[in-house]
Amino acid sequence: MGELREVGTAPVPGPAAALIGRIRPAARRSWVVLPAALALAAPLLLSSYGVHVAIVALYYAVLGASWNLVAGYTGQFSLAHHAFAGLGAYASAGAVLALGFPVWAGIVVGTLAAALSGYLLGGLTLRMRGIYLAITTWAFAESFRILLAVNYQVTRGDMGLIVPLLMGTLDPVPNYYVFVGLTAGVLLLSAAVLRSKVGLRIRAIRDDEEAAAVRGIDVVRWKKFVFTLSAAIAGLTGAVYGHYIGLLAPSQVRFTEMAFIIISVVLGGFRSFWGPVVGAVVAEGLAEALRLSGEVRMVLFGFFVIVLMRAYPAGLVGLVAALGQRLGPRPKP
Amino acid sequence: MGQLPQVVVAGLMMGALYALMAVGITFIYSLMKMINWGMGEFYMLGSYAQLVLITLLLGPSLWFLGVPLAMVGVFLLGLAIQKGLLAPMFGPEAERRDEYATIVTIALSVLIQNLVTILAGPYQWSPPEYLPLVTIGGISVNGSRLAAAAGALVILGAFYFLVRRTWLGLAFLGAAQNRVGAEVAGVDVRRLDGLAFGIGVALAAAAGALLAPVFLVYPTNGAVSTIKGFEIIVIGGLGSLTGSVVAAFLLGLVESFGSVFISPAYQDLYGFVFLIAMLFLRPQGLFGERERRV
Repeated sequence: MGELREVGTAPVPGPAAALIGRIRPAARRSWVVLPAALALAAPLLLSSYGVHVAIVALYYAVLGASWNLVAGYTGQFSLAHHAFAGLGAYASAGAVLALGFPVWAGIVVGTLAAALSGYLLGGLTLRMRGIYLAITTWAFAESFRILLAVNYQVTRGDMGLIVPLLMGTLDPVPNYYVFVGLTAGVLLLSAAVLRSKVGLRIRAIRDDEEAAAVRGIDVVRWKKFVFTLSAAIAGLTGAVYGHYIGLLAPSQVRFTEMAFIIISVVLGGFRSFWGPVVGAVVAEGLAEALRLSGEVRMVLFGFFVIVLMRAYPAGLVGLVAALGQRLGPRPKP
Repeated sequence: MGQLPQVVVAGLMMGALYALMAVGITFIYSLMKMINWGMGEFYMLGSYAQLVLITLLLGPSLWFLGVPLAMVGVFLLGLAIQKGLLAPMFGPEAERRDEYATIVTIALSVLIQNLVTILAGPYQWSPPEYLPLVTIGGISVNGSRLAAAAGALVILGAFYFLVRRTWLGLAFLGAAQNRVGAEVAGVDVRRLDGLAFGIGVALAAAAGALLAPVFLVYPTNGAVSTIKGFEIIVIGGLGSLTGSVVAAFLLGLVESFGSVFISPAYQDLYGFVFLIAMLFLRPQGLFGERERRV
């Protein structure tokens, strides 16, 4: 009986299917190897401007990954990740310019500043319903932007603050490898967190906070932990990016930036590990390929996201996974 | 201390306009249990509607007719958006409503803001003043601000009448208290959701239209009022209409006093300090109830 069923559901044993079946375990690993190789070789294939675009895409990919950790996996909507990035950048600039720190130490200061503000905001709001975190982080982000613009004697406001460069050059290629390393590091870190017990705890919190609390999970503590970690990653990314472009302005903390992070994550696949990376690369690449103005692309992306949320919330990664399941061997019943 | 009355009047006048924003946000929240992150864009649409109406169609002297017309236009838009995009989240297969509402309204706000920038340009338009400088009892007041505050009070009064003195208002309050209960009593809660969303965004549009000559008309002009609106609803207590109105006037006063006695440059930041202090001291807000969960 069992044999019959197996034969019935197995794919037609053609040579191609047999091959897919055989390389399946290895293919899983090549899932990571292939994009990694492509990422490392990209500067050979792209123009200098193309490499810059790739850096911007990785910047949004890392911010998206850190946001996904909080919003996607823990179910807590932060709307200040662009502000944490801005805070990291400005704090690092402050440490370097005013206190004479070396750039790497400035980046550490920026990371810690973002982590601290995340910890404090989380401490005030994460005891309550998720909506409090969203509103408070939103107000924090907008107030931070206003603070930067108002204190133009210190921050030089919209004229822009010139900061020293991390690699000592505006050439995007060495900076690109810094960003590839940063992206890989952050992805490894979030994979480690998600695979650990903490990862199970935060997913339990997302699925049902009360049930998680009943099972003995210190809900507030783990929400705070993930939010602080995620703010720290955003601060780190913002600081590194600031020292790459060498010019900071309050416009980097506009809410449009946060919206773009959310849009690219949803495009790629909300709550999927590769979603933020795929989304950011596709969104940035598409916008450059079509040579769209900033406004037109935001209108299109806004529209895409609404359609996606209504029709297919799993995003591009979900689409690819669904296709893979269709094409690959079906799991045995 | 001779300027004290002036400071108080200025604070209360701004408070009336903040109350429009805050009541709009709270009203939508209390029925649909969602935050509309696009509130600032509806404020902006209201201000553009008013600009077009009074410069092209009605003339500056009929500004008080422009405001209700702008509100009706935005109300209808809100109704359509609610029906097309937000109503489905109450469907049977809908999951994680907060998430859906947050992402969709943020995408919507990005879409509207950039669409308006494409259509009307990034320029700042300045509509004609509603009234010249007015002097009452030795206090001189910016005429347009006074007109805006008076208009806001009239609209808040009408809203109060709607909610507290009509059957429809009773249905709103019932549905806000207990959705299922109201449905059992024969109230069409889904229709109320649409109306509440429309009314909520129309209140934001009213604030935009009234403040058009004061804060000017441009694609991101809704941001500042929206920050205040969100701060107020937490300070007043999430879901409490009374709390929203009281906190709006309090914030108006705090800003007014802060800008006179501390520094006018930080006027838009006092609200955040107020919010943080409130979360620290009384997280449920002035009129909020302590949260209870199953």
